[in-house]
Amino acid sequence: MAQVKLTNVKKVYQGGTVAVQNFNLDIADKEFIVFVGPSGCGKSTTLRMVAGLEDISGGTVEIDGEVVNDLQPKDRHISMVFQNYALYPHLTVYENIAFPLRLQKNPKLTQDEIYERVTSAAQVLGITQYLTRKPKALSGGQRQRVAIGRAMVKDCKVFLMDEPLSNLDTKLRNQMRAEIILLRKRINTTFIYVTHDQTEAMTLGDRIVCMKEGGYVMQIGTPSELFDWPASKFVAQFVGAPMMNTIVCDLVKEGNKYFVTPFGYKLPVDGEKLELLRSRNVEPQQIYLGVRPEHVTLVKEKKANSFPVTIEVNEMMGSEYHLHAATEDGTKLIIRIPTINLTEEERAKMVSGQVINIAFEGKAMHFFSMKTEYNLLTDNQYTADKEPLEEEKPAEAPQVAEPKEEPAAEGEEQEVKDE
Amino acid sequence: MQEKHSMGMAAKRRIANTFAYIMLGIISIVWILPFVFLVFQSFRVESTGVVGYVFPHKWGLANYVFLFSAECNFLQWYFNTFIIALFVCVLQTAMQFMMSYTLSRFRFKLRKPLMNIMLVLGMFPGFLTMIVLYQVLKTVGLTGDNAVPGLIIVYVASSGMGYYVSKGFLDTLPKSLDEAATVDGATKLQIFFKVILPLCKPILIYTILTSFMGPWGDFIFAACIALGSQTGMNVAAGLNSWLQPANISANFTHFCAGGVIVAIPVMVLFMFLQKYYVEGVTGGAVKG
Repeated sequence: MAQVKLTNVKKVYQGGTVAVQNFNLDIADKEFIVFVGPSGCGKSTTLRMVAGLEDISGGTVEIDGEVVNDLQPKDRHISMVFQNYALYPHLTVYENIAFPLRLQKNPKLTQDEIYERVTSAAQVLGITQYLTRKPKALSGGQRQRVAIGRAMVKDCKVFLMDEPLSNLDTKLRNQMRAEIILLRKRINTTFIYVTHDQTEAMTLGDRIVCMKEGGYVMQIGTPSELFDWPASKFVAQFVGAPMMNTIVCDLVKEGNKYFVTPFGYKLPVDGEKLELLRSRNVEPQQIYLGVRPEHVTLVKEKKANSFPVTIEVNEMMGSEYHLHAATEDGTKLIIRIPTINLTEEERAKMVSGQVINIAFEGKAMHFFSMKTEYNLLTDNQYTADKEPLEEEKPAEAPQVAEPKEEPAAEGEEQEVKDE
Repeated sequence: MQEKHSMGMAAKRRIANTFAYIMLGIISIVWILPFVFLVFQSFRVESTGVVGYVFPHKWGLANYVFLFSAECNFLQWYFNTFIIALFVCVLQTAMQFMMSYTLSRFRFKLRKPLMNIMLVLGMFPGFLTMIVLYQVLKTVGLTGDNAVPGLIIVYVASSGMGYYVSKGFLDTLPKSLDEAATVDGATKLQIFFKVILPLCKPILIYTILTSFMGPWGDFIFAACIALGSQTGMNVAAGLNSWLQPANISANFTHFCAGGVIVAIPVMVLFMFLQKYYVEGVTGGAVKG
């Protein structure tokens, strides 16, 4: 149980490849943090730096107020679960789980204490009947439980998990995900969890760190923050499935009203989004208009602000349709329509070649700057990008004076976007 | 139609198999004949020279009895060989393993060049260095009667260069095992002995076998460094001295009996460790 603090953490490999750019994060005690991002974004590297399996090229990692940069993994009071389980094949399940306890010196545990801890962990994980087996006689899910068991018997301050579920099949993954939530309640410690799967990130994390190729932190926030207020087009498209639609169009200002112009239509912006555009006094400009597939509504009769699209592919998911459709000007859209509200007749129309009318929900529209791809309505203090973005700032958030997030670290080859 | 086709396949396979088995049969007979011949000759007691037939006219154990009698140096040679092989086996296995583990797990400057240099050096036949080695050992007095320690040094000296096979095996053990053990609190030494070594049983046995058999059957170095000294020779050099024109008519059957005795320990070792040996050789290729 401990706080973890990463300050300007950086990883540069020999040869100059930068795997992690200035990474700043304060993890509260008992918080569940998820690092999410596509492969190669440096999320595992960051975790491994916390674990002590990778050298830290710059910045500091603190666990419980103590800088651990130069501490051996065993002295950092961490536990770790690996993607490929990393069970010792020559030891039984019992011996695997007991392994860290037997190595423990301070205090040295007696055989009885070890037995007690191992069996109680096994009980929690439901693997008591397999204690005498070797790992190769276990299924993937059982192996993963053993790996978790081995990590949880130790008294650790931070529990690290490196894509623990990605070697499992979908069904088992869903089941284990639920079990990790339960486990988390039970061991009640600080978690750092790495995954490339946005569903895992959304369901498990108290806060999510979304990263991008090249080791950039794109956003840090709660799952609903990431979903409702993505800081950039990248985060918007990474979080949520199917992917958010982004449409190139103009943001037009008339008086104190704002409009967007997708596919030649002129749609008014309303609600909270309008208020924010007004209060930030956003300049009219070319934007990416972001609309999530579930925020596209089916309009049964043609009316104002709706437009026709032609269905190209229909994916019947059971509870909903995922429609891949094209507008009149050829823009591709993905639309998600729950089946429950549709009559038989309407369902029959959800086939390739049919034309349907749709509308965008005004309150769920997102506006991303064409130049920077940042959300025009959020403050992007996380993003560290290659290009200095000075000239963009007035357009983005002229009235908000955010405190400087981080001064640039000793590294010169990158600039921190600070507002 | 389908069935006919598959019948054709089956017949074809049968023909191919039959052919393969006949070939293998012939090859194995050619292979095994000299050994059978050697065994039969070792039981021949009517004469001791080279004869033109395989089956002895008179059977007996006289040749074996001679080997263990006081008038013969065979036991001394055998003992020499055993001592050499034992020491080399232990030292070479240890050194090879340390080398392979280092090259497989640690990243350091010049690692790649070092591996390449050793690989290229290993391509030169060892006896190229024979004359130099003889001179060096002679200077420190480890030739002739003292050839045994000299030979141990010669065999062990280059053992790190045989890292290739066991490094290949170690490379197949996932690095995350080391990392998991590190996180679990193990030191580098504990990782090696508690995690890596137990998993290396097949390749360890392979290494032990090969490093035992190398000096056990070596002739060139042993003959060169012992240089005719009866007390410094190993079995191969000793037995070879019986095949010299001056000795062959008196000692040919003794040579055969000696050959059989030399083969026994290796055969026994192989029989017990065969299972692991195969695993060790193929282990790198498929790892479940």
